Amino acid sequence: MKYLIQIRDIALRELHILMKNRIYGFCMVVFPLVVVFFFTTFLDDGVPLDLPIGVVDHDNSSTSRALTRRLDAMQNSRVVAHFTSVAEARNAIQEGHIYAFFYIPRGTSEKLLAGRQPKVSYYYTMTCLTAGSMTMKDMKTIATLGSAAVGMGTMQAKGFTPQQIQTVLQPIRIDSHQIVNPEGNYNVYLTTVLVPGIMMLFMALLSAYSLGMELKFGTGREWVAKADGNIVVALVGKFIVHALVFLLVVFLFQYYIYGVLHFPRLGGAWSIVRLCVLQVFASLGFGIFTFGLMPSLRMSMSVCSLWSVLCLSMCGSAFPVMGMDAPLQALSWLFPLRHYFMLYEVTVFNGFSVIDAWFHLVGLIAFTLLPWFVLRKVKNAMLTYVYVP
Amino acid sequence: MFRKLKEYLHDVAYIWRQEMAQIIRDEGVLIFLVIVPLGYPLLYSWIYNNEAVHEVPVVVVDQSHSQLSRKFIRDCDATPDVKVAFYAEDLDEAKSLVSRQLVKGIYLIPSDFATRLNRMEQSTVSVYCDMSLMLTYKAIYQTAVIEAGRLGAGLKIKRGGNYTKREDAVMVQPLAVEGVALFNPSGGYGSCILPAVLMLILQQALALGIGMSAGTTRERNRNGQLIPDDDPHYSGVYRIVSGKALCYAMICGVTSAYLSMVVPRMFSFPQLANGCDLLLLMIPYILACVFFGMTVSCLVRYRENVMLLMVFVSVPLLFMTGVSWPQSSIPGIWQGVSWLFPSTFGVRAFVRVNSMGATFEQILPEIRILWIQTAVYLGMACLVYRHQFRLARKYAGHESTAVSSSECSGASC
Repeated sequence: MKYLIQIRDIALRELHILMKNRIYGFCMVVFPLVVVFFFTTFLDDGVPLDLPIGVVDHDNSSTSRALTRRLDAMQNSRVVAHFTSVAEARNAIQEGHIYAFFYIPRGTSEKLLAGRQPKVSYYYTMTCLTAGSMTMKDMKTIATLGSAAVGMGTMQAKGFTPQQIQTVLQPIRIDSHQIVNPEGNYNVYLTTVLVPGIMMLFMALLSAYSLGMELKFGTGREWVAKADGNIVVALVGKFIVHALVFLLVVFLFQYYIYGVLHFPRLGGAWSIVRLCVLQVFASLGFGIFTFGLMPSLRMSMSVCSLWSVLCLSMCGSAFPVMGMDAPLQALSWLFPLRHYFMLYEVTVFNGFSVIDAWFHLVGLIAFTLLPWFVLRKVKNAMLTYVYVP
Repeated sequence: MFRKLKEYLHDVAYIWRQEMAQIIRDEGVLIFLVIVPLGYPLLYSWIYNNEAVHEVPVVVVDQSHSQLSRKFIRDCDATPDVKVAFYAEDLDEAKSLVSRQLVKGIYLIPSDFATRLNRMEQSTVSVYCDMSLMLTYKAIYQTAVIEAGRLGAGLKIKRGGNYTKREDAVMVQPLAVEGVALFNPSGGYGSCILPAVLMLILQQALALGIGMSAGTTRERNRNGQLIPDDDPHYSGVYRIVSGKALCYAMICGVTSAYLSMVVPRMFSFPQLANGCDLLLLMIPYILACVFFGMTVSCLVRYRENVMLLMVFVSVPLLFMTGVSWPQSSIPGIWQGVSWLFPSTFGVRAFVRVNSMGATFEQILPEIRILWIQTAVYLGMACLVYRHQFRLARKYAGHESTAVSSSECSGASC
């Protein structure tokens, strides 16, 4: 009971601090919501539509024009310009006007009719991978369809049935199942990892910040005294407020993406709750631990921010961890967002049982418990250290 | 006139030296101005060094058990992108392998696969992908498409009844198609994202470093002011701004040379830049970043707050450059916001010069905007520093009157 009262008192004190220093309000609520707004509106299209591409048509025949028209009609591409030469089109890519161009050389339709296998080419820039692969897919499809159209004409003339023609053109069809995210929506793919990643950055950064500020303003001693020198009570009292505010923000985010934007998922509501709770406590634990390792405001915050920014790459949501070098694969365990991502992917996104991600569940719990190692150092710092700017 | 100019230059040089000395003494600032630009690019390059994912593990459910299905599996396994790691009896077993993260996708070959092909009917291969990773999905799906096409072409040729190889080739593909990936031929992830990250690191590290340094100055100052009131050299806004800017630009000049020339070479990322064009791009970019950083630094009260402000915007900034998400698909509102940051144009121009070998004329629009940003942020830096300057004078004035009055009272006593 005594502990509970102490915790309550410290929590009230913390609440007062949070209200007084405006930066907390910004970093706990405003900035995370801005980030949510940014990513959900930025990626609202889901997939990049109507990417600008060009055509170099030296053939100028009805066939080449039909190809161009079909290319324009594709979902991801839009023909914005016709160029007179390949060099001109390449210039346009270098100037950033188009992402790709389709080249139809002189005599294409003539050779096509004569059965002399003309060659068309498409060029795309891979300096923006999304744009490059999307336009490439469209241009490849159009070229393949153009090829098929010729075969179809020949076979129709020979008297094949439509079914036979289809078989000859494409003997083996790939029946693709994009589980959970059938349209390959980038909003679903990126927002669900990047936004929690940035929120975790704030959580870790602010827990180091709030401990450091106690040092900076010399209020650490008073804070520990409020808990009768019991650092566990002091930490619980202080961070319970942080945890509650962050939980609220995180749940709001999850409600927004699943309840309002209807992001697909196969996991149940409980898997989301479990993930959120672990996310908040693991990040706070990580922040407190960093401060305990280096009880200085600037060092612990620098380390927290550098580490958390690295998390966004090391979690392996954009470039998979299995593609990295072996030492990095092992190091990825040291990044809380990696465990968050795996737990999210297995339990929430794909809806598998949590036992399949037990390692990452344990990982997040371990991050939550990390401060245990530095309890004495934190207490020591609060009681004896003097802040040096 | 000349004496005034000399005095001005002397003050500028003095402030330049003071600022430099302060940076070297402050480890927090050193971390961001020197260690981060030197170390972070190496880390990122290491992370993305392998460029692409190879040998993505898949499980095969072969219900056909035919010569053709085995050929298809062998062909897929032989590609660089996919590795057939497991065979499963049915889809449920395969799914359990996916759930345990042992494989990233499933190839299901139905029992009538070969029968249908031999009957000259279209048959299917089902591909199930774990969509939590786009790169592995692409590897699994594209491999299946390519190998199915190749197997199909072989069957077509067998049935075609042509006499010559040439006839076979024309029948399989009446219209030959060639795809050329420009500027990043392997489609590597690192080669695509890293040039942008390098330029972004430059801006962010500079803004953080300048902000931290300004915070330190404030905390050391007795009135919590940015500009010392007791030093006669700090007697004008322009000399303060130019002195500090020279110091930051000097450090940034070295780190930017390292970022734009050494790092890409070390990790053999694409590097087509012409030295002169690169120089003409980096000068306005560095200046814009320095003045941007100085403007931001005046907004923060405590030195640590700049970290809370600047770190999280890095990710949105990277997205707004149009490297990971195509520029043409960025919503208008964010296109507008992106104009506020030098990184947007610095990254775009750098990617074009460095990865695409664009010339100065081709990045002229970006260069112009960078110069405009330099001018605007210079103006803003002067404005906010003038404000700080007045504040410092005001506090100093208060204090001196307070001191003199207390002295007076002391004397009268």
